Amino acid sequence: MTEAETLRSYLTFRLGDEIFAANVGKVLEILEIPQITKVPRSPEFMRGVINLRGSVLPVIDTRTKFGLPPIDDTVNTCILVISVIIGEQTVTIGATADSVQEVMEIEEKQIQAPPSIGSKFKSEFIEGMVKINEQFIMILNLDTVFSSNEASIFQEMIEKSN
Amino acid sequence: MTIDNIRATFIAEAQEIITDLEKSLLNLEQDQNNKESISTVFRSMHSLKGAASMFGFESISSLTHNLETIYEYIRDGKSKLSNAVLSVTFNSLDHLKKLLDDGDMKNKELKNSHDSLLKDIEGLLLEIQGTAANAIASPLAEKPVAENTYYICFNPVDKILHNGTNTLYLIEDLMALGEGLSLPFFQNLPSFADIKPALSYTGFEVVLCTDKSEEVIHEVFMFVESECQLSIHKIGAGNLLNGEAKQRLNSQGTFTILGEDKILSILVPASASSSTASIAAKVQQIKNVSNIRVSSERIDEFMNMVSELVTIQASLSLHAQKNDSPALLTIAENVEKITRRLRDNAFTMSLIPIESLVIRYQRLVRDLSLELNKEVVFKTEGTETEIDKSIIEKLTDPLLHLLRNSLDHGIESPDVRVSKGKPKQGVLLLRSYYSGANVIIEISDDGAGLNLEKIKAKAISKGIIAADAVMTEKELINLIFTAGFSTADQITGVSGRGVGMDVVRRNISDIRGDIEVSTKENKGTTFTIRLPLTLSIIDGLLVRIGDTDFILPLTSVNKCYEIETKVLEESFNQWVTLEGQRTPFLLLRRDFNILDGRPDLSQIIKIIYEGGHVGLVVDRIIGEYQAVLKPLGELYREQDEFSGSTILGDGLVALVVDPNRLIKKLLKKVN
Repeated sequence: MTEAETLRSYLTFRLGDEIFAANVGKVLEILEIPQITKVPRSPEFMRGVINLRGSVLPVIDTRTKFGLPPIDDTVNTCILVISVIIGEQTVTIGATADSVQEVMEIEEKQIQAPPSIGSKFKSEFIEGMVKINEQFIMILNLDTVFSSNEASIFQEMIEKSN
Repeated sequence: MTIDNIRATFIAEAQEIITDLEKSLLNLEQDQNNKESISTVFRSMHSLKGAASMFGFESISSLTHNLETIYEYIRDGKSKLSNAVLSVTFNSLDHLKKLLDDGDMKNKELKNSHDSLLKDIEGLLLEIQGTAANAIASPLAEKPVAENTYYICFNPVDKILHNGTNTLYLIEDLMALGEGLSLPFFQNLPSFADIKPALSYTGFEVVLCTDKSEEVIHEVFMFVESECQLSIHKIGAGNLLNGEAKQRLNSQGTFTILGEDKILSILVPASASSSTASIAAKVQQIKNVSNIRVSSERIDEFMNMVSELVTIQASLSLHAQKNDSPALLTIAENVEKITRRLRDNAFTMSLIPIESLVIRYQRLVRDLSLELNKEVVFKTEGTETEIDKSIIEKLTDPLLHLLRNSLDHGIESPDVRVSKGKPKQGVLLLRSYYSGANVIIEISDDGAGLNLEKIKAKAISKGIIAADAVMTEKELINLIFTAGFSTADQITGVSGRGVGMDVVRRNISDIRGDIEVSTKENKGTTFTIRLPLTLSIIDGLLVRIGDTDFILPLTSVNKCYEIETKVLEESFNQWVTLEGQRTPFLLLRRDFNILDGRPDLSQIIKIIYEGGHVGLVVDRIIGEYQAVLKPLGELYREQDEFSGSTILGDGLVALVVDPNRLIKKLLKKVN
């Protein structure tokens, strides 16, 4: 697979009713939810740490991060192991998703700019939107989403839009 | 140090130089005009030559001598680097590597290739020199008549290293004057146990053949004349140091002072006598002492793998216990034993002596004391104490700061000292030793000591403590570690910007160490730094709260007690009496917000905290555990009460607690 092709491939996953897409170049693997060790006194959205074949991987509760109410894990709940750039370092983290959908090719011309008004998400976290089968899919900028240390980067926006 | 050791050191050094040389040459191959690489090559050749002739690798120094000259011409722009020069240099490098193994060229083939290389080099040199073939000395060319041979005996006092002098450089400078041979000798060499690394026991006799005058030779020792016995005599006109005479002199190897007469008699012998037998014996000895240099990355990788093994072994032990098979249990136990030994062995590999750190400070102390107009002797003790290299790296700055502080604030100026009835010269002592699983480094001065009144006044004026605060001496002293605290009335260039001591403490606690101060007015101040031997594996106590496992470092655990959970929960002031001692405690399940599985009986673990004790309450104590530390990563940077995590035998992650930080954070919340 050439680099150009890699860049056009996106993994889609579901959180609540929304579907998000992440560039497959950033996603290293997908895991079932193992037993997670909670780190006391850490922010709400930090779910804890897991053992990923001998190294310790921090796991982010994406629902909390995105301001969605917590739900119990299901058989479909999984962890996306992604590499993000925090500061100047490349860090591997885990992010939970309600379920993983598919890997799809998205042509650059299909991608629309994120709406600047009326969106409940800050535009810096969204790289673009794409409409597939009458459903809007939001392409996430993983670096900004997961390097932000705010308890919930979307909460404020949702409260406002509500 | 034995002769073998010295030669082994030279070989290791030479290998390093050759590696550098090779790098620069490869650069030159790409870019023949690279000035930097050319001068690197020249410098490397020069130091190789100097060191080689000092340690009796005559074959090496003869080879490098002319190469050096060639590169000198190129460096000075008198000639251009050609492919021919490069290829000869590469060949010489390969040859040099062989010579390190067989310096006396016992192998005939080696000797032949050596001679042909010498010839090649000489040819190149002649070509470069062009018509002025006789300007530069080369073994086959006729020497200018103006040359004289001198005998120089340089015997430094043992403290010569204290002011930063490197005697080897002096010898090198000497060698740069012409063709020479240095014969090191040892005087007053004490038994191995009494050797002080900061003292010099080596002197040199040098036979130098140069066209320079005696004054020029004197100038080399200009700065150390007061610190050595030096005699320089002309022993003859012309070059008495021809190839054969050199060999004969070299094969003496007695490492005692030969004296002018003896040397002269060797140089101009009545009858030739060879001592091939002794040379052969020497070569044999050198081969027996072997050490290899391993890059630190490889050691790090090795350590990582050992760490992995420790984790796997824990999992094996757990599995064996569950399966209740005696055979498996035996295997698990044996694996555990071997793993432990392997771990200890691996650790010693990454340990380096504190001395490597101290050498950097010698010069600094000297320069600073001059700058501050203070008279200070810097003494070191126990610098052979070894500690993990990653710890050493992180210690450089904190120690530097402490030394600067002691020089600047601690030790008084000479007249003040005299008026106090102390010797004019202050003493700064760096001492290190092992204490259990820790290494202790002490920095003490015999200066003014900390002025507690001044500290208190300062802290009040800076708003760090309240004006009516009642504090113990210890608490007052600890104020100097508070951020934004500085007692210097004047900000000097040396220290006293107030960023100091809190950063020092933080740096030290980053490597899981702690620092204490003791002070006595007009007697001095001592900083005691306690450090773990290694950073990657800790011996810990595995405990459980709810269904989360935690590890407390055994070094800070004092004692464990069992107590009813109800008593602790109903305590209103968070104090409990343990063995008649009132101890503050922290109910961790409450602080960690862990609600599941409340036990009726809880365990209190008494932790040593800032000179006193604090009890940490957990649900269960599982046992001792060797934890391989894994960082929690960038996202948990704020949670520094956990110094890391570790993977347990069953694959779950346990959090490694930093008790000092945890207690500090939690107590802050309570207050």
